[in-house]
Amino acid sequence: MPLNHSTEDKDGVVVLKLVGTLDAMTAPELLPTIDRLVEARKNRITVDLEGLDLIDSSGVAAIVALYKRTRSNGGRVTVTGARDQPLAIFKLLRMDRVFSA
Amino acid sequence: MDDGGVIRLTVPADLKFRDVAVRLVAEACRMIVRPRPLQQSPASSATTSSTHLDLSDRFSAEMVSAVSEIFNNIAIHGFANRPVGDIAIEMTVAGDHLAIEICDDGAAFDLSQVPKPELDKLPEGGMGIHIAKACVDELDYTPGPPNVWRMTKYTNGSRIRKPRRMSSQPL
Repeated sequence: MPLNHSTEDKDGVVVLKLVGTLDAMTAPELLPTIDRLVEARKNRITVDLEGLDLIDSSGVAAIVALYKRTRSNGGRVTVTGARDQPLAIFKLLRMDRVFSA
Repeated sequence: MDDGGVIRLTVPADLKFRDVAVRLVAEACRMIVRPRPLQQSPASSATTSSTHLDLSDRFSAEMVSAVSEIFNNIAIHGFANRPVGDIAIEMTVAGDHLAIEICDDGAAFDLSQVPKPELDKLPEGGMGIHIAKACVDELDYTPGPPNVWRMTKYTNGSRIRKPRRMSSQPL
């Protein structure tokens, strides 16, 4: 399954929307977008996972990288809409509270 | 279903074939947790044939998570410095559990050397085996060749609490 991703600026918040599968195969496709957001110092980012069906540890790592790099710039990343398998994985890794804080 | 059945799949140990394995595992899970009625409505047929992967039940979500991580491990590390071989998957579908055996001829892996990830530090790696272990009831590995991963998941023994759907709320 492919990954479709898009970014949209909404009132100063960048919404990064991920649809499909974020895994070892597709996570590399997301890295240039993450680089761009970090380099542009976008400090308010919402990752919308409502359309995400499947995530694996590589996909989690990509979101953690965005979170950490944005935080080191003084910014904040929140994750919304996670459901089903991705939500189970975030809870298992105890990242659900981190990303919504 | 009452009687057990065996499903076998062999694919190259390449990430681009993982989706095939994942979909087959999801179908095997569905046979256990949501057996299809004899008469299927056109609407449910359409849903089944779409590209959307339905992992809304806990059993399927966890089993697919475990197989995905093991597949990643073999494809990324097992054949890192050698020609890509095959991954052979054998699924035994029983009434109350699904047993999956995954074999490969890649580099052997030392499960005892995998540290538990320090989740409080938000790791960006080393989470795969932790996920696999947590998502099934039994996980066993025998180094080879062939290397053999065996995992079993019971319908009444899941360890992760069933996730709630939170479509528009923060995590």
